[in-house]
Amino acid sequence: MQDFFINWLANVPGTAAPYAFAALGLIISERSGVLNLTAEGLMLVGAVAGVGTCLTIGNHPLVALVVAMLAASIVSLLFAGLVVILRVNQVIAGLSVVFFCQGLTGLIGTLANWQNHPIAGLNKIAIWPLSEIPAIGRILFVQDPIVYFAIPIFFAVSIFLRGSMLGLKLRAVGENPAAADAAGLSVSLYRIGAIVVGSSLLGLAGGYISVVSVKLWITGMVGGRGWIAVALVVFARWAPWPALAGALLFGCIEGVVPRIAAAGIRAPQYLVLMTPYLATLAVMIWVGARNRGHQGEPGALGQPHVREERR
Amino acid sequence: MHDVAMIAVESQSAPPPKLPPRRGRGRVTLDIRQTISPWKQAGILGGSLAIGLAISVVILDFAGIAPLDLAKELAGVFNADSLRSVLVRAAPLILVGLGAGLAFRIGFWNLGLEGQMVFGGIFATAVSIYDIGPESTRIVLMGVAASAGGILWVLLAYWMKVRFRVNEIISTLLMNYIASYFLLHLLYGAWQDSKTAFPQSSQYRPFERLSDIGSGVNSALLVALAVAAVAAWAVHLSRAGFYMRFISANANMAKVVGVPVRTISLIVIAASGAAAGLAGFVNVSSQEGRLTQSFFDGYVFSGILIAFLSRNDPIIVVIVGFLLAVLFVTGQTLQVFYQIPFTMVQLVEAIIVIAVASSEFLIRHRIRWTR
Repeated sequence: MQDFFINWLANVPGTAAPYAFAALGLIISERSGVLNLTAEGLMLVGAVAGVGTCLTIGNHPLVALVVAMLAASIVSLLFAGLVVILRVNQVIAGLSVVFFCQGLTGLIGTLANWQNHPIAGLNKIAIWPLSEIPAIGRILFVQDPIVYFAIPIFFAVSIFLRGSMLGLKLRAVGENPAAADAAGLSVSLYRIGAIVVGSSLLGLAGGYISVVSVKLWITGMVGGRGWIAVALVVFARWAPWPALAGALLFGCIEGVVPRIAAAGIRAPQYLVLMTPYLATLAVMIWVGARNRGHQGEPGALGQPHVREERR
Repeated sequence: MHDVAMIAVESQSAPPPKLPPRRGRGRVTLDIRQTISPWKQAGILGGSLAIGLAISVVILDFAGIAPLDLAKELAGVFNADSLRSVLVRAAPLILVGLGAGLAFRIGFWNLGLEGQMVFGGIFATAVSIYDIGPESTRIVLMGVAASAGGILWVLLAYWMKVRFRVNEIISTLLMNYIASYFLLHLLYGAWQDSKTAFPQSSQYRPFERLSDIGSGVNSALLVALAVAAVAAWAVHLSRAGFYMRFISANANMAKVVGVPVRTISLIVIAASGAAAGLAGFVNVSSQEGRLTQSFFDGYVFSGILIAFLSRNDPIIVVIVGFLLAVLFVTGQTLQVFYQIPFTMVQLVEAIIVIAVASSEFLIRHRIRWTR
């Protein structure tokens, strides 16, 4: 029984990391007032770019992750152009970009023959001597470097949003673009910047799944994690640290699924696979039942800003 | 009196200072168009559609299909055999388009069309497997069961929205995954075909299948057209259609002046789910004749695309549904003969939606260069 828990919890940072990065990326772009539903698609872009890099230039996982971030940022320019410059309905634009990416990654993965080719990926490192502590050592100190990298990123984004002038301006654009515009801020520039920077984290989340966790590209491998990340942002009320807590929660739920079979517990496999989605719905209901549905939501979320349009 | 004062002021003030020459190249400003001629509107829409299709052709060219071959394949769709599969394909596409369009009309983002199709298929197949009802009315019963399945699945999301304010965009999308895992649970378990041992249900009997009527037209299409006719009546002619326009324009206002917002929303959303559930049944019954793992693949975005391009108008939904069916059948041909994955269809769909959505900006705004 103790083994079961240690094996499970040792898995959690790896399953939680994609949620954490994706949620953080979404928080950055949504704080600028852009409802960002592109997560599922841009994570796929990151995933295929990561594996593609490893298969093309040899096994350089860190390079692959950087390429994944760049690829997602580049594709996000399409979304930015649609919602910021052309003021397309943000739900329609987000969904279109997701399905665009699903089609594109499926096509690229098949044409380049990257499908089902395992890569060596990134291995876990043991931080000796901390890794020798019983139980805790394996859970906290035998992980891949990217997991540790998440902590400074969360600190940086948290300080950026709450403590820096640029972060303040970004939030002003998200709360009241008309006022921010009057104060001389370029709403379009801030929003495009937030989308591109946030999307690099979505790419990292996708690259993490394919290069670090699964070490393989399979069409559609993100499997709804992007949508769960969107829900996670609502749950976290657009704040970084609660998002990290939520990511750990979902990491625990996702991490237990393979453990159940491995521990020899007989449970209907496909019903067990539903649990992350059911848990997300449960969390959303919990958030709604506590009657704080719109708390923390950026004031102008989902609304395009046209200076010439008087509202 | 006035004049004197003016002269006095003028004589006192210095000559106006010369303005410095303007710096910069000016900037882009947007004018909101008050009106636009229908020709210009059609021109902008057609132009952006053409750009979108051109981009798709270029992508396919990169994927190894020369534009000439593509043209040949597209033309090949219109021989008798392919036309039959276009008409069969069109039925579920029209139904999901209607489902999406109805819900979007009152501002409910029903993105759970695939999940509702799955439950439509499951409910209909349950009628077949447990042999419910006489053979003569079996197919009607299956259709009713399928609608009920779709309604059940969409109303769960609506209930979560009303009761707990759960955003339906997220809940309906997540419920697609839940539905598809439930389908796999059945197909790898209790409902697995004992004859083939494949993960699919056993074959429907002939009286459970939507058959061809006359010259290659499947009765599935009649079902879809009938539903479209009812939807068109409801949207354009009935009082409910007027209420729906009112709700989407301003739900609070509608409530204040006594429109039964909750009831209308409930009925419209249930109808949306019913159409999607029926699409699942029609798809299963007219094509494979059994539940498969992925009979619903790609229908969510197809529904969104049809509803978006048709501006939620049931009559135009039928036309767009046919056009999309042509794209689907072409995509299948390309998959078989050129090994192009079927996700290509999704890519082209997305490009078309992006192109048309962008054109709306140019239709609504005039871009000017001011100095």
